[in-house]
Amino acid sequence: MDFRELKDRVFAAGQSAGLEELEVYATRTKNLHVAVFEGAVDDYRASLEQGVGLRARWAGRIGYAYVEKLDDDSVEYLVAGAKAAAQINESADEVEFHAGSGSYPQVSCFSQELAGVSPEELVAFCLDLERAALAADKRVAKVNRVLTGYEETEVYIANTRGLEQGFASNAAYGYVSALAKQDGQVKAGSKFLVERDWSKFNAARLAGEAAAEAVSLLGASSVPSGNYRILLRSDVARQLLATFVPVFSAEAVQKGLSLLKGKLDAEIASPLVTLVDDPLLEQGVGSVPFDGEGVASRRKQVIAAGRLVTYLHNLKTARKDGVESTGNASRPSFKSPVGIAPTNFFIEPGEQGFSDLTSALGDGLVIIDVQGTHSGANPVSGDFSLGAYGYLVEGGRVVRPVEQITIAGNFFRLLESVEAVGSDLEFGSLGGRGNMGSPSLIISSLAVAGV
Amino acid sequence: MLSERVVTDVLLAAMSTGGDFAEIFLEDTYNTQIRMLDGAVDEAVSGRDFGVGIRIFQGLKCVYAYTNEIDREGLIRTAREAAAALHGAPAGRAVVLSRLAVERFNPVRLEPQQVPHQDKVEVMKRAHLAAAGFHHQITQVAVSYLDVDQNVFIANSEGLFVEDRRVRTRLSINAVASKDGEKQSAFRGPGRHMGFELFDRIDVEEIARDAARSAVTMVNAAYAPGGKYPVIIDNGFGGVIFHEACGHSLEATSVAKGLSEFSGRLGQKVASELVTAVDDGTIPNAWGSQNIDDEGTKTRRNVLIEKGILKGYMIDRFNARRMGMEPTGSSRRQSYKFAPTSRMTNTFICAGESTREEIIANTEYALYAKQMGGGSVNPATGEFNFAVAEGYMVRGGRIAEPVRGATLIGKGSEILQKIDMVASNLATGQGMCGSVSGSIPADVGQPTIRVSEITVGGRKEAK
Repeated sequence: MDFRELKDRVFAAGQSAGLEELEVYATRTKNLHVAVFEGAVDDYRASLEQGVGLRARWAGRIGYAYVEKLDDDSVEYLVAGAKAAAQINESADEVEFHAGSGSYPQVSCFSQELAGVSPEELVAFCLDLERAALAADKRVAKVNRVLTGYEETEVYIANTRGLEQGFASNAAYGYVSALAKQDGQVKAGSKFLVERDWSKFNAARLAGEAAAEAVSLLGASSVPSGNYRILLRSDVARQLLATFVPVFSAEAVQKGLSLLKGKLDAEIASPLVTLVDDPLLEQGVGSVPFDGEGVASRRKQVIAAGRLVTYLHNLKTARKDGVESTGNASRPSFKSPVGIAPTNFFIEPGEQGFSDLTSALGDGLVIIDVQGTHSGANPVSGDFSLGAYGYLVEGGRVVRPVEQITIAGNFFRLLESVEAVGSDLEFGSLGGRGNMGSPSLIISSLAVAGV
Repeated sequence: MLSERVVTDVLLAAMSTGGDFAEIFLEDTYNTQIRMLDGAVDEAVSGRDFGVGIRIFQGLKCVYAYTNEIDREGLIRTAREAAAALHGAPAGRAVVLSRLAVERFNPVRLEPQQVPHQDKVEVMKRAHLAAAGFHHQITQVAVSYLDVDQNVFIANSEGLFVEDRRVRTRLSINAVASKDGEKQSAFRGPGRHMGFELFDRIDVEEIARDAARSAVTMVNAAYAPGGKYPVIIDNGFGGVIFHEACGHSLEATSVAKGLSEFSGRLGQKVASELVTAVDDGTIPNAWGSQNIDDEGTKTRRNVLIEKGILKGYMIDRFNARRMGMEPTGSSRRQSYKFAPTSRMTNTFICAGESTREEIIANTEYALYAKQMGGGSVNPATGEFNFAVAEGYMVRGGRIAEPVRGATLIGKGSEILQKIDMVASNLATGQGMCGSVSGSIPADVGQPTIRVSEITVGGRKEAK
């Protein structure tokens, strides 16, 4: 049964079961994932998965159900499941099903060239990554994890108000983690790349960076506890931004779970910070023609030179605030209820390169990795305390690697204390929270715990 | 769920290009998720996950494929696609299936699928009321309910043909306390490998009030001092320290390739002699228990460390090949979408001889971590980090002021050596553990322990 046929049957069965409105959100995903170890493929995964989520209204209330098997039983299960879920829903929020946006933007979210890359080429790239990492430096003792993959997803949405839209997207990824050893110390360096442009998959470059980073950390030790000036490398700045993405969601604001409540039009960040959500970004991994409710995508500034311009909205939160949806309804999966997430979400780059920023830092720490963002950071309070490592900088020069420290602070204070924004904007991280990007940032002060 | 005929044909198709072992994992899972905010249900989802994973080994190569198309044709096509990644001639081995009866030690009395949603909502309301009414500083309570009824069928080319059912039920409570524009939240998430009878076994109100008490304590607390000093970690969910700092590094996933700091160290002293640690998947109705693991091997009680000496690892069938050791019933996966690998089940440090009171009374200055948050580890370097959800300072042998925002970092092997007191009050807590084969339910546990020093991340300087 294809999606359209299933939709027709579900709508018919649902309407006779008394459901007032129905919306089907379905995806089909093809995935290939390859990992190698010591010159041979040791993990090869291929999949074809599909699923259908139903959102339905009964007595004015919303219920959800999903299935992965597309057969007659599932039509029945979807209708009964969504109805049972709606019957216990007590939310007074009005939820509107979108009839369509009229016209939709042309967005480049599928690369034919990338789709033509064969499994053999992906395997070859993965083997090259491992070889290149081992060859990069004598001190690289092992490549503990190296993998590549390709994913292609078809999205289909249709509802009883006449909306029917679909699109396909794809992306490939590569990851390499190298271990350097010296005098009994083991240090890991890793690089992750997710892109739609296959020409960016340069094994020597990716592996070289991972190996160089691992080696650069040999001889690391802690630093005395205290407050330090901090340079967050672009990937770390991006990771922190991703961790605190929920604070920009109108849903979190309305539920009192974001401290940005009541801050619209207020200065919430350094004037150097402009934060953008751009679903139309050329080659952006998070680019989409429409959101999880079928609302047409558009670019928007969230923070303009330090001032909070808007929250991210879906139809429900927009109606509640009396504004238009920003097109940020998200369905990370057909299993997930409609939520809110950014698409390509990034801090606009400044002018200074990374080495200029290091000089500008003067005395402080460059942070190149943080750990524990899922546990050591609280999006509600903005507080974070994270394991970290990087380099000690004195007089604008890196003097030695640093390990076994934590950095602690508050995300909202951090936004205010950005002193410089680099030119090195880079994107990364897949998954439900969107495609994040940031340049490297100088932060005037964070608390560091060491020895 | 599948006929022996179809299973045999699929396994043979999977091994048609030189594979020496093939396995089918079929899953049909029903689940219910309900979310309640401030006393009103605002989201409910009923779901059914259904699909098949096919795994093939050829020596030290592993191929995995999965699909939702489970008719004979779809399965054979998936098996052939997976087999295409290998190169060789079929070994010509016959597949002779023999049905294995599973000894079920996780009885389920009230099947969640048979319980009306309204009853589930009632339990959630009780939790909400208890937490919301605890204190005026509690400004928000989010409660969620989850039940999962997973039916699996596993068969392999060595003749295994087995079915199992795993029913799990969990309630999660998140209480938020506010004061002067600041917010602190506290989480409790009791769950068991059992049905709706869970709510006859636990005191929902007591747990909800405890979450509220913790959030209120933290919103009124100052920041923890940073630095390197002694830490007392309380019993129950505090066991996450062992789970993160050592457990992951004892999984064959990292041990087999020589990537773990514990690789090749069996029989050596890796911890203080006060430490005996176990991974036990056979505790009736415990959150991480299973009758059989996700490749059909019976679960067991695996002693990992005994009086400080490294005794064993957690090993799955594939890594067992590289290690030349037996699988330990430790192979797990989130769903058919993941190839299984060695993971923890219910992992804990065993009871010692001190009491919590003795430990505190014998400590001049320390952080007392009463409740732990989550954490993570890089098994290659052993470096871990985790968050302290509810902390207090200990001064002069007494618990003093509460502190917030502390993080613990360090290396697993070093922490194990520095455990210098272990109490007798072993308790467990429930978590979801994420790793290469997905997110799985796992119990963590320990008695109250003292570690002579850990780097504590915080905002102020110590002392």
